[in-house]
Amino acid sequence: MRSSKRIKLDKPEHSQKCLIPIISDDLIQDTPLIDVYVDTINDPKHISKVIIDLNSSLPILDLTHLKRVKGKDILLCPVDSIGIDQVHGLLKIKNFDTSYLQNNIRVVSVAKIPPKTRTQYNKVNKYWPCNFHSDKYIEKLVTNTLFSSEELCEHEKFMKMAVLLANYRKITYKDRKCVGSVVVDPKIKSIVAVGYSNALSNPCEHATMVSINNVAQTQLSNINDVPNKSKLNLSGIPEDIHTVLQDKFEGSCFGSTWFKDKSEIGQPSDGPYLCTGYYIYLTHEPCIMCSMALVHSRIKKVFYGINSSNGALGTLCKVHLLKDLNHHYEVFAGLCKSECEGLNIL
Amino acid sequence: MSTAESESSLSDIEKSFMEKAFCYAKEALQNQEVPVGCIFVYHNEVIAVGRNEVNQTKNATRHAEMVCVDQVVEYSKTNSLKLESVFEQIDVFVTVEPCIMCAAALYDLKVRSITFGCKNDRFGGSTVLDVKEILKPVTVVQGGHRADEAMALLKEFYKGQNPNAPASKVKLKKSVE
Repeated sequence: MRSSKRIKLDKPEHSQKCLIPIISDDLIQDTPLIDVYVDTINDPKHISKVIIDLNSSLPILDLTHLKRVKGKDILLCPVDSIGIDQVHGLLKIKNFDTSYLQNNIRVVSVAKIPPKTRTQYNKVNKYWPCNFHSDKYIEKLVTNTLFSSEELCEHEKFMKMAVLLANYRKITYKDRKCVGSVVVDPKIKSIVAVGYSNALSNPCEHATMVSINNVAQTQLSNINDVPNKSKLNLSGIPEDIHTVLQDKFEGSCFGSTWFKDKSEIGQPSDGPYLCTGYYIYLTHEPCIMCSMALVHSRIKKVFYGINSSNGALGTLCKVHLLKDLNHHYEVFAGLCKSECEGLNIL
Repeated sequence: MSTAESESSLSDIEKSFMEKAFCYAKEALQNQEVPVGCIFVYHNEVIAVGRNEVNQTKNATRHAEMVCVDQVVEYSKTNSLKLESVFEQIDVFVTVEPCIMCAAALYDLKVRSITFGCKNDRFGGSTVLDVKEILKPVTVVQGGHRADEAMALLKEFYKGQNPNAPASKVKLKKSVE
């Protein structure tokens, strides 16, 4: 542990590929399709009139993301329960003049819901023209280009601290199961709290839970109680660990901003409040308990190194994507994977 | 799902344990905490009591159940008992269905049984995510005892605002940095 060798940061080029966002399946999988009836318009001159007439007599509320025509072909209605021979009858009932159409009805597959990503759009737009509003942030997530190389370097640095903590625990306490974690306030790029698994003495004291406890420590002391208000609050980092990290990671910033009571907070975002706005770096994928603890604590982003057999952010389930919960965070896996894998070797 | 709705399925002594859990839920309410109370019973003896203390500790994981877990750890150390075997003989009585976090913790600890009051629509470890289905625990779970009363306590709390939450949270449009 006392080696004076500074930890060298690898070039981040190859690690961008390793850092995988754990996102919802509906961003990765193809857009679901639905079968619809289409017919061809006799005279291209009538296209705009046919669209207006059809949109008023037979609007398709569930498929408003689709264009009504593709070339001379026009979308009539979903296949649903009506037979192909009943379609023109339905149009007549709705007072649509079917003489505009060739009566050459076919079934085609189209996007059932609006595509969420450009890749999904490119696929379904070939079936039938489709509206698409690109969300820049989602595009960065699915194309895994969210972080600049500088940012990746920073994330790697914090993960290497978590690895160091896990190793520190492994050596100091002869604990086989060693998970390390670091909580960071990205606004000031500072380490707020640290943790490592302490399950030997308390089975629920996983690294995440210990880190959350340590974040709480920083918020129990009020700024009015301290003499030097310009310094950051170090109560989330045990002294011995602070020394070790300072030694290995020169120039890093340590401590949290001081807790302010609700009455002293101007902007709600001023906090700190629980883990709002914070990132956590974990050597291993957290379990269900820990993943849910991070939901309760309102963490902003979770980075982990390697999957766990009992992991809840990708392996067994994806707690961060549960729709019914009141808070959701982002998850990135595979950061410093090989270093984290090294922790599992005795 | 083994959540029975009948009150009569509890014995008199079990009802008295539940009553004790309710006392702690009320204590939480008096202290501006989410009113959930919990007790852990080992060999018919109450060895841990707890209530939600999230606001007091500024720690969102300090749910009644987790408070009790820490007490059992202490109890086992003090009495030189093997922690694993103590947990395996523990019956949990809690006024509200344990949340996903607490349910996972209690299943991993292999507690013998969990008896709860009302369902937890916001965070429940079977209502929101079926933790049992994922972890396949040995724990026997039954709910519905004095559910209306437990729910009434929660409603009473949520009528007022959580005093520790930041004021009027402006809807932040997707966290773009």
